[in-house]
Amino acid sequence: MEERHLTVDQEPPQEAAEVVNRREVRLEPGAEEKLVLQFMDSLNSYLSFSHSLSSTLGQAWMELASARHSMGTARLNTSLLDLKFHPASTTLKITECDDDAKARFVLRKWVSPEEVGEDEDSNSTKSSVPADDDDEAVRRERAKSLSVFGILIPPKLRAAQQSFERALETLVEMANMQSSFLNSFHQLHQEVEDNKE
Amino acid sequence: MYGFEAMTFNIHGGYLEAIVRGHRAGLLTTADYNNLCQCESLDDIKMHLSATEYGPYLQNEPSPLHTTTIVEKCTLKLVDDYKHMLCQATEPLSTFLEYITYGHMIDNVVLIVTGTLHERDVQELLEKCHPLGMFDSIATLAVAQNMRELYRLVLVDTPLAPYFSECITSEDLDDMNIEIMRNTLYKAYLEDFYKFCQKLGGTTAEIMSDLLAFEADRRAVNITINSIGTELTRDDRRKLYSNFGLLYPYGHEELAVCEDIDQVRAVMEKYPPYQSIFAKLSYGESQMLDKAFYEEEVKRLCLAFEQQFHYAVFFAYMRLREQEIRNLMWISECVAQNQKSRVHDSVVFIF
Repeated sequence: MEERHLTVDQEPPQEAAEVVNRREVRLEPGAEEKLVLQFMDSLNSYLSFSHSLSSTLGQAWMELASARHSMGTARLNTSLLDLKFHPASTTLKITECDDDAKARFVLRKWVSPEEVGEDEDSNSTKSSVPADDDDEAVRRERAKSLSVFGILIPPKLRAAQQSFERALETLVEMANMQSSFLNSFHQLHQEVEDNKE
Repeated sequence: MYGFEAMTFNIHGGYLEAIVRGHRAGLLTTADYNNLCQCESLDDIKMHLSATEYGPYLQNEPSPLHTTTIVEKCTLKLVDDYKHMLCQATEPLSTFLEYITYGHMIDNVVLIVTGTLHERDVQELLEKCHPLGMFDSIATLAVAQNMRELYRLVLVDTPLAPYFSECITSEDLDDMNIEIMRNTLYKAYLEDFYKFCQKLGGTTAEIMSDLLAFEADRRAVNITINSIGTELTRDDRRKLYSNFGLLYPYGHEELAVCEDIDQVRAVMEKYPPYQSIFAKLSYGESQMLDKAFYEEEVKRLCLAFEQQFHYAVFFAYMRLREQEIRNLMWISECVAQNQKSRVHDSVVFIF
């Protein structure tokens, strides 16, 4: 896109037809169809994730209610949440690639305070970091997050935590799909506008 | 003399036993729960509850209602009943009634201490405390830095003071220490309540021993399951179990080394009263364990009303009312979240 844009600027106006021809020659055959397919795929994925999010969140809220029913309202309420300053255990990084102008959302979960300053490039290729349940560090961070409600907490509260985690991953995937289909739509729209000229 | 309470009980306890049996008759029935389970909104629940003893407590609440509001107002009904009985009671019934609230007092102490550790406002924490567990100097808990100060500044003048002897240290309060403190206090409270009931003797001792032993056993199972996968060592876990109950001492030895739900099940199935509870669960599953325990507890509490001239009816009534409030909380949550298919997962019918 950027290359094309620079080429257009450098060519004198009377050469516009040649520019258009040159552009047509540079395009891959079926590029528009590919963009349409990409748009439809991303939109379909977005809608699937949206349905999945709705059921995951419903399950998570019910598990939280079940944990409250088991522990009692005195042990599980908002006034126990920790207001002391502490680093976030889960971060979201937004990167914007210059080549396709598409925003990418990368979720990094259960990062211990020691890992906060490390380079995150190795994790940036995936849209979310799947939590390895066998990882001792992840298990410790999960337990630390729930320790505001006590150490001896029922399995229902842990299940609620995992459900909300899955919901968060789904949200990030939805954001990526939205970015993808908006980008495809923008490119298609640009193509249509260029063809009109 | 055991068996001759009929001669003397009514002199001091007759009026209050009649009162508590009247309150028992006001507990919600299966028909009430069926109506509540079909409600479409929290306002519908309020409308159905207006015909029950909770009506006066909910009638002035504005819409939209929240589930926490329903629970708070229903709890006020329990508190009013309790305070009426307490102010009419003479010794030893008044001490017995006070014992019933010490569990809530422990929960309130832990709530204030934990909230303060997390830099929360004391007023906000006081609003979340259970009204049955309040005492005069509770707000002063926020200034204590360790358990020694907690005891010296505040708890030495409360009924919980004798329970602190096993957990007084100068270590700073953190999440693990607070959890151990909570369970150690509750263990000491249960043992003290048990000894008090034994001293009362007669039918009270017989029925309360069974109810408190069940409570101690349930606590042991919950501590075991909740501590699986945590940093709590086996020795620390064993120290939190009460020194009475059906599982004491051999069941506790086996529970202390359990590493998963199936091992806990294998231990509990050796005890006939708990076989029926664990028979309702499938292998590896613990979601329905709470409901199974609640159902067994309700059965035992209802049986307490089958005999007269004892204090266990007061304990049974308080616990049944708390179960009813838990039921209402669950029904309200299912209605509010539009998940009415899950209503029967946790509702325990009393009658």
